[in-house]
Amino acid sequence: MAGRSDSGSSEKKSSEATNDVPTFSAENLQSNMKIIYYSRTFMSIIGGVVAGILGFTGLTGFIFYFLVMAITSVGLIAKAKFSVNSYFDSWNRILLDGFMGGLMSFVLFWTFAYDIVHIF
Amino acid sequence: MGLGFAVGVLGVLILGHAAYSTIQYRGLLKIMEEEFSGPPMNVVLELLLAFLFCIWAALSVPGKFLPINPDSEENRIVSLPDNLDFMIFNHRAKVSLSEIGLKLKH
Repeated sequence: MAGRSDSGSSEKKSSEATNDVPTFSAENLQSNMKIIYYSRTFMSIIGGVVAGILGFTGLTGFIFYFLVMAITSVGLIAKAKFSVNSYFDSWNRILLDGFMGGLMSFVLFWTFAYDIVHIF
Repeated sequence: MGLGFAVGVLGVLILGHAAYSTIQYRGLLKIMEEEFSGPPMNVVLELLLAFLFCIWAALSVPGKFLPINPDSEENRIVSLPDNLDFMIFNHRAKVSLSEIGLKLKH
């Protein structure tokens, strides 16, 4: 918070262009990102187990993952009281971050649950 | 926090029960020599319920979002530090600069 906002305010009079640099609390942003990763990882694990129990195979499972992530995104946006810009610096943070890492967890638990329920 | 965590544990337990029901259903199908086409209705309902519980847990357990804007309500500094008695506002620059002839605003 300190470094960025201070440099912004000191250069405010010298040039107009630096006023466009957004200032925000980096600590709070990091905490928010941690919450996002937590939610996404948990939801991809649960989604993987559900997909495994339902017996999805192939492309259906990946479509299911997209669906789960979309629902999670909507939930996170609702948690941010639909004012994303006061909690994150861009929309990609809430929509895309943690997507690929979650996919790995999803596939792991998907195959795990499918093997337990349908194969053994 | 506590309620969300409990709901999450409940959701995972329901998931486990749904998995167990599906295993039993598979066993039944094997005895009746039928093919598995899809999970039974009560399993689907259980999964839906567990999924909703887990969404609730995933959104409530990690904590609240903190506002990042410097001008938002929570980030504004409204309290003064506790050691106000020990703050020093007079220093040597005031004397030396006034001797030279520069005037400082008070």
